[in-house]
Amino acid sequence: MHTFKDHFKTFLLRLGSMTLAIVILTVLALASVIGTVLLQNQSQADYLQQFGPIWYWVFRSLGLFDMYHTWWFLSLLGLLMASLGVCLWRQIPRILKDMRSRKVTLSESAMKHMKHIQHWQADQLDSTAFIEHVKWQLNGWSFREDSYADTHYVRADKGRYNKLAYILVHAAILIILIGGWLGVQYGFRGDMAVPEGSKESEISYLKGTSTEYMKMPFEVQCNSFDIDFYPNGMPKEFRSNLTIIDQGKEVLTSDIIVNEPLYYKGVRIYQASFGDGGSNIHLKLFRMDGTSDVAEAQARVYTKYKDEKSGATLEITDFRPHNVENMAEADQPKDFKDLGASVDMIFRASGVKPVKVRSFIDPFVLEEQNRGSFFQISLSGDTKEFQPFALGLDFSNEKEWLLFVAFVKHLAATEMKSPEDSKMAFKAALDEVFPDGKPDNFKDMAVRVMQAVQTIPRLPWPFLPVLDDYDQKYYTGLQVASDPGMNVVWIGSALLVIGLYIMFYVSHRKVWLVIKQHEKGYSISLAGMSNRNPLNFDREFHDILSNLDQYTRTFGKGDAS
Amino acid sequence: MNTATQNRGILSALYEGRISYIRFWAYIGMMLGATGLALWGGNGYNEDNYLFMLVSMQGLIWLGTGGLLAAGAAIVASMVKPGVLRNTAAAVMVPWFDGGVLMVALMAALTVFEPAASAVSYLDQSNLFAGKVIMTMNVLLLFSSICYIAYLFAPESFIGKMATLTAWLGVYAGGSALLLRWYESYLLLDGEIGHAPVSNIYEVFILLFCITTVIYLQWERRYDAKAMGAFVMVLVAAGVFFGVWLDSVGQGEIKPLVPALKSYWMKIHVPLNFVGYGAFAVACGAGMAWLFRARLEVNGSSALLRVFPTLDQLDQLAYKSVAVGFPAFTLATILGAAWAAEAWGGYWSWDPKETWALIVWLVYGAYLHVRVSHGWHGRTLAWWTVIAFLVTVFCFLGVNMYLSGLHSYGRLA
Repeated sequence: MHTFKDHFKTFLLRLGSMTLAIVILTVLALASVIGTVLLQNQSQADYLQQFGPIWYWVFRSLGLFDMYHTWWFLSLLGLLMASLGVCLWRQIPRILKDMRSRKVTLSESAMKHMKHIQHWQADQLDSTAFIEHVKWQLNGWSFREDSYADTHYVRADKGRYNKLAYILVHAAILIILIGGWLGVQYGFRGDMAVPEGSKESEISYLKGTSTEYMKMPFEVQCNSFDIDFYPNGMPKEFRSNLTIIDQGKEVLTSDIIVNEPLYYKGVRIYQASFGDGGSNIHLKLFRMDGTSDVAEAQARVYTKYKDEKSGATLEITDFRPHNVENMAEADQPKDFKDLGASVDMIFRASGVKPVKVRSFIDPFVLEEQNRGSFFQISLSGDTKEFQPFALGLDFSNEKEWLLFVAFVKHLAATEMKSPEDSKMAFKAALDEVFPDGKPDNFKDMAVRVMQAVQTIPRLPWPFLPVLDDYDQKYYTGLQVASDPGMNVVWIGSALLVIGLYIMFYVSHRKVWLVIKQHEKGYSISLAGMSNRNPLNFDREFHDILSNLDQYTRTFGKGDAS
Repeated sequence: MNTATQNRGILSALYEGRISYIRFWAYIGMMLGATGLALWGGNGYNEDNYLFMLVSMQGLIWLGTGGLLAAGAAIVASMVKPGVLRNTAAAVMVPWFDGGVLMVALMAALTVFEPAASAVSYLDQSNLFAGKVIMTMNVLLLFSSICYIAYLFAPESFIGKMATLTAWLGVYAGGSALLLRWYESYLLLDGEIGHAPVSNIYEVFILLFCITTVIYLQWERRYDAKAMGAFVMVLVAAGVFFGVWLDSVGQGEIKPLVPALKSYWMKIHVPLNFVGYGAFAVACGAGMAWLFRARLEVNGSSALLRVFPTLDQLDQLAYKSVAVGFPAFTLATILGAAWAAEAWGGYWSWDPKETWALIVWLVYGAYLHVRVSHGWHGRTLAWWTVIAFLVTVFCFLGVNMYLSGLHSYGRLA
């Protein structure tokens, strides 16, 4: 059994050694670097695409996609805690013993090793008054005195608790790690999306590569969600009005914004994101079959609309009430402009490649001139690849569509040879659509209709889906978290800061004054040492020395003469 | 006694003994008053309104009461127990507070040069005066670094004085320009976007120049380490060029704060972090000076050696800089965690910036360990300060340039 004990002792010694601590810290630091370079918690499909099947598999089995929560990373942290604990266990008695020992006497040999030492003589000295003067001079220091035969020793200490800082700092780090462990073990952190007017009590979070769900002991109801904007169009504030419902009872209603979470029963609820919560979308479908038929369609965001007549479907994916864009050229001063509301949908029709379409409610107005409605179309379905597509016509005015259809019809009846033909066709169309007389802006309309003849037929769709009206509804994206270890972490942090302050700004300074009486008078020695900040102590020692020297000169010589 | 010495006597009396002690506590009292105003004045702390509260009658009452009460307490304490006057904290801190007041006064004077309200436009901010003050700072700091380099080769006191003087002027220009930007942010867009000038990479760079230079100037004043200036100010000069480039690509504009940054934590967390970064830059300068001197000693060129501090002193100065930077950086990181706990749903998210801050912390923590516990000195540690600063630069610049994460508002466009 003796050998086991020995082995255990060696094991503890190794565990608490600084070499091991430095190795662990280095490995942790290097692993952390990997975690910052490799984006964490992305979708698995993205990783697969980025790294290819082999590396994806290697990285995945090492847990690198959620590295900071893998067993090996947490084990390293645990090992660090053990190492720190053992180190503290071994060092604390040593440090305390060191702090308590304050030897008053100073041997001749010890004096020789002092870096700061001075000797001088005085003929006459009232040593009691002199020591009083020293004590006054070193205000705030703690003193010990002793006499042996003809020698009187005074020892003064300042900042004796400096050594405590080592204990404090290392214990603080241990406490912080324990707090972190408590948080991992007993806390949770997940997301919750609550549409306006709805309730939710489940959060979702990522664990490794899968999404997990967790029920909260209460429900969160989102009464409203609002965005405030700066005058330049940038978002200023996201504000949710929430009601907490506990066991069927409304217990708390409060606003939250970013930086001001809500706290209920140990759980914090943060404003994290927002999105469309299923807005009601009204579309107009302008049929491209030569008739002037305009169908109305209604659908919620995240649902599909099927047009019975053509068999085409529209999958509504997103709605945005504002589209603030920089309208200036690349090197010009920025000019932000709100293009108005838009809806994103995936357009699927037989014989046509599915495309993503963003339809805007307002026509595009540049330099106060109406340039007609427009789409943004992405053939790949990726919103980053949206290309603008000008329709020419202003679809917010249904008469303009009728005019266009009539014009196309009349134009087809002519031989379409001379500009005169199209002029005639337009006139006929005008008479047909506006029997009571031309509208004031018919010239602008003419420009747009001529434009539309060039562009609209290029779209091979059964109809043009144009956003007509909406009833907007947001969802508020909440982050819900509970961390029972947080206060432990704060306590550890406070100790860490206090410990570092003592460590760096309080140095343990020791000064010995040795007064030796002999026949001719007194020989005085002043010795000092400091465990840190030698540059400052040089000056301090010099100040003390010159002060005491002057004192003995004044009073010593005065009495002698 | 002629007038000059008499004036000097009055001036130095302000920084000595009882007067310095009372002023120290008056400043502390005013700060407590300002904190009290934030917590209990009006309807509690209001980000947009706090500055106006400070300069209103209400602010005057809070600050005045705090200052007077603390000054009164200091007078009584110094009468009852004269020993308190021996405490050096007051003498050390009062010049800093005075410097701060001077900076605010300078800023107030500079507001005279602002264009008329009708000429101020958010879209074209080129006529705002802070830009010109920043340009002045750039010129001063560049000139100063040239002087410090010249001082190495021609150690005449005139050149040395010019170097120090222009460095100080640069600090005051930079500091007052930042304060002026704070004021200007309230002139734009009907005062809706007012915020402290520590919200983007351009602003914090100016802060970094000032803090680095000030820390260096302290070492110069206290430990007569003028030759080190060439190394520190070269780093600052490199930063100045980067800042000019940032401005030229439109990063120097005042922009509204994103909702995540609208918090009083920003004013605390960011500047404190840059105390850390600045101190690490000075440590790097000391390390470079050490390596340079070591090379000189091998080559035996004595002319340059005469102006250099000894290797031991440079080693000490590097350590002292880390001793300033490390606690500040630790506190800044902890306060950042406190902010994250209020804004992001947890005090630690392993966000790239957080992780790199941890790495920086570990690197300097290891420096302190090998130095204090293992007694390492000299060349290895000199290299350590230089390489550790490169890691630091990556933390505050590289992370924003190459990695994405929650700190992405500091991103370069």
